[in-house]
Amino acid sequence: MSAVQKGTLNQSQKLMVFVLTMALYGLATLFTELIPSFQVGIVEFSVEYFLFIPLTLAMLFDPLSAALGAATGELVFSEIMLGQFGGLGELEKFITVTIGVYVAGRLVRDPKNRKMVGVAAFSGAGLQLLLGTIVDILKVQLAVSDFEAVAGLPESVFATEGFAFFNDLLFSGILFCLLPALYLVPRLYGKIEPLLGMEPRTEAVCSGRLGWKLPAGCALAFAVAVGAELLAESGLSLIDWEAGWAESPTALAAGMVVAAVVSVGAVMLMRARSVKAPMEKSV
Amino acid sequence: MRITEKLSSNILDKVSIDFLRSQVLKNAYGNDDTVIAGMDPRMLLVWYLFFGLVPWFVDDVPFLLGCFFLVAITTKLARVAGMVLFLFVLGVFSQTGYLLFVTLLFGGDASAVGPLLILTLKVATVSLASVTIFSGLDPDKLANGLMWYGCPERLSFSISYAYRMLPLLMEEFQNVLLSYRLRGNPPSSDTFCGKVRYLIYQVKVIIHAFYPLMLNTAKRSRTTVEVLEIRGYRYAAVDREVKKIKLSSLKITNNDLMFLALSFLWVAVTVLVSTLI
Repeated sequence: MSAVQKGTLNQSQKLMVFVLTMALYGLATLFTELIPSFQVGIVEFSVEYFLFIPLTLAMLFDPLSAALGAATGELVFSEIMLGQFGGLGELEKFITVTIGVYVAGRLVRDPKNRKMVGVAAFSGAGLQLLLGTIVDILKVQLAVSDFEAVAGLPESVFATEGFAFFNDLLFSGILFCLLPALYLVPRLYGKIEPLLGMEPRTEAVCSGRLGWKLPAGCALAFAVAVGAELLAESGLSLIDWEAGWAESPTALAAGMVVAAVVSVGAVMLMRARSVKAPMEKSV
Repeated sequence: MRITEKLSSNILDKVSIDFLRSQVLKNAYGNDDTVIAGMDPRMLLVWYLFFGLVPWFVDDVPFLLGCFFLVAITTKLARVAGMVLFLFVLGVFSQTGYLLFVTLLFGGDASAVGPLLILTLKVATVSLASVTIFSGLDPDKLANGLMWYGCPERLSFSISYAYRMLPLLMEEFQNVLLSYRLRGNPPSSDTFCGKVRYLIYQVKVIIHAFYPLMLNTAKRSRTTVEVLEIRGYRYAAVDREVKKIKLSSLKITNNDLMFLALSFLWVAVTVLVSTLI
């Protein structure tokens, strides 16, 4: 095996790209999490999108490592370090960011071609926003139990989400994805690769062509994201579900309370014993 | 002129990076002596799995209220930094408040308030549970707990890495930003146009600052990965023996069981109450 294989990165170089994207995008999302957004009228301006960082890096390096690094960075730095972890919603964000960045990275075959970079950056951001919007609409529809019954709610959800989508796309997409990527990609090209011990990406080196695998993989991943949200749709009330195999829900709940009291008592007993045990041992 | 004042004050004054940094560091490193921090991460993750998921599926108000009170108490126990709580409140109320406003705009009436309140309660419960766990726990412990459950090694590595590198990265970003500001010549911000131009200037500086930052971080991540390689990280990551040694520090104590049992008791009582009503 030759030390320098043209075009393919070895495992540790992929890890480098992963760490680099994770650290940078994590730091950026940490700040955006802390800066409150502000509104002028009903147009919301938020510095929500530092997505240009992973987009730039995905165009320069291995797209998959960069995409995974970006999603992990956001999860770890801004969610876990700040304690803002939102459960199922984070899975959706993780997957949409990964898809958006990965697709943008794959679209660019030659980082020196500015038009290509611009189109890829914009469509990557747009894809991520669109997927996020779809999931958001589904989420509200599923979380509010009688969604259709509430007057005015369905239209308002579509309106706010649709408006937020175009607002984000035009504002963040252009200002925070397109322009910075156009500025950064040509500048960093050829400079940042040697720092990681790699060769700059060229058209020949670019990994493979876009096959059917990419859309299929994205669709599958998105299905997982939606599926996580759809779990909520079953909306089975805890009580109803338990009432299926118990005669009366009240009796069952009373049983649960008794079980809980017994378990608390058991733990207290264990505690008392464990305090006694070391003393006996030491004697 | 109120809007312009808001425009400039919001972005510019709140990006006092020192303030943000101290809050973040306080949150991540400051509270390792609380009751929550002393508990076993595996237990807490199980606990979180319940309070992070179940409220989404239940529409029963007494049950949701009960869960909410419980997680509010645990959040208090975890002594979460004020900034995080502020962000939490802002997030929950701005989201549902905005939705309510638009619902009314589209001809909805007071009947929309009920479901929205329940939605708010759900969101609040779930996010407070996560604040308790992810803010209250030492990230290293959290990483170990996740690893025990078989999460990818990459994730726990990322958490530990972030935990150690965060102060360094923030300081570097601040330094780069300050040096840009020192050398730059900001446009005057007296008139409205000036304010807008000033805002654009600031955003531009932040974006430009990422250029040197990217190069620096590239160097740093190469060093990190090379050091990891020297220590055999990629082999250790998949090795069972190494994992065993790493996780040997985890221990379930009576405190953990007590916490779980008490939570269970509380939930059982709320279920009982909700069936009686």
